[in-house]
Amino acid sequence: MTDARTWLERIRALPLEGKIRVMNVCGGHERSISMAGLRGALPPEIELIPGPGCPVCVCPEEDIYTAVQLAMRPDTILVAFGDMLRVPCNAPKNEPRTLEQARAAGGEVRPVASPSEARRIANENPDKEVVFFAAGFETTTAPVAGLVAEGIPANMSVLLSGRLTWPAVAMLLDSETPGFDALIAPGHVSAIMGPEEWTFVPEKHGIPSSVSGFETPSLLASLYSVLRQYLDGKAFLDNTYINVAKPGGNPTARRLLDMTMDVVDSTWRGIGTIPASGFALKPAYAEHDALVRFQIDPKQARKRIGEMPPGCDCARVVLGKLYPNQCALYGKACTPRNPIGPCMVSDEGACHIWWSSGVRPDTPQEAVSAHY
Amino acid sequence: MCLGVPMQVVEHDGITARCEAKGIERSVSLFLLQHEDIKPGDHVMVHVGYAIQKMTAEDAKISWELLDEMLTEEELMGNA
Repeated sequence: MTDARTWLERIRALPLEGKIRVMNVCGGHERSISMAGLRGALPPEIELIPGPGCPVCVCPEEDIYTAVQLAMRPDTILVAFGDMLRVPCNAPKNEPRTLEQARAAGGEVRPVASPSEARRIANENPDKEVVFFAAGFETTTAPVAGLVAEGIPANMSVLLSGRLTWPAVAMLLDSETPGFDALIAPGHVSAIMGPEEWTFVPEKHGIPSSVSGFETPSLLASLYSVLRQYLDGKAFLDNTYINVAKPGGNPTARRLLDMTMDVVDSTWRGIGTIPASGFALKPAYAEHDALVRFQIDPKQARKRIGEMPPGCDCARVVLGKLYPNQCALYGKACTPRNPIGPCMVSDEGACHIWWSSGVRPDTPQEAVSAHY
Repeated sequence: MCLGVPMQVVEHDGITARCEAKGIERSVSLFLLQHEDIKPGDHVMVHVGYAIQKMTAEDAKISWELLDEMLTEEELMGNA
């Protein structure tokens, strides 16, 4: 495999002019880029933009509100990925706004790292209702489909907040100001769904694209590819993660997703409804669908659809319209220790990643480009 | 959540595998790899406790180098 240094030399040798904006749509990619300090190593013409790659950040308030309400039921254990526990929703004063606060107020909330752990908790607590709050993109939703298809305990249900990544990119591209000239497509989403999902980006929109892995050589190879495509005026879908993001994706995962879930219009936090962008359990699995099982009134939950907390610019960060440190709250009112918005809560949120990489509110934008 | 961890299969019963990476063992579901023939010694990309793709030993090694770098960086930056 060609190493990172060689790819960097090839990129530096390209006759780049003006600004070329390259968006990534995976928190994992943004982490690799920030941690490796790629922005500082690349020619100044290249602007790397973190895009809608954080499932925690786009999880709508109504789902978090519902999860908090379920957690407060005395007969229920609410199980969720650890990232979700500190994401706030708008709630009346004196009511818990996060799952962490629900736990402090007496609700039983347990963080898990895997759907299998959620099932184990259900098996160990047969006298309790166990609700698995499953927020995530295709990579996480496919294991949830596996869990449902394999058979889940009678006392267990799923509060599903699964989202598809490509419709968010399609929405950006259909808008008047997409804000990017090339795309680094997500490697593990493609490992599940197949890289072909992203062919619409070059074919319909003429935007150079490449599916990438998470290691620096794979990211730089993808970057080199999209820059070459851009310079040559020929956009296509490349793939530098071919051994994992295989053609057709993972056929078992796709079959199980089709078997257990429908694709439905879904709300994205701070963004609104994106057509055919979310997963919902099929009616055949209604007894394990927390919304049905607990007769959640969508009207009540939807009242919680609010804007972001005052001053929080998470939505524009998620859409790649604003760099994290351009938000007025970044590093001041909002830090990983005391997060205001979901982008600072999640390991995959651009704000959290930039903070962890050392970008501070007083770091000048030129220095961000030069060093991170 | 999308950051997978490559692991090596130690043994499996067809549905669940005991997998190892860097001396740490975990129970990993093979439910999403029913279409693959998985043998002890194979490498898989693991995401939230589920193997999502079979991969080569070389790719697994490269992924581990990245994870090592990230963990070191985060420790240095005091990730909080």
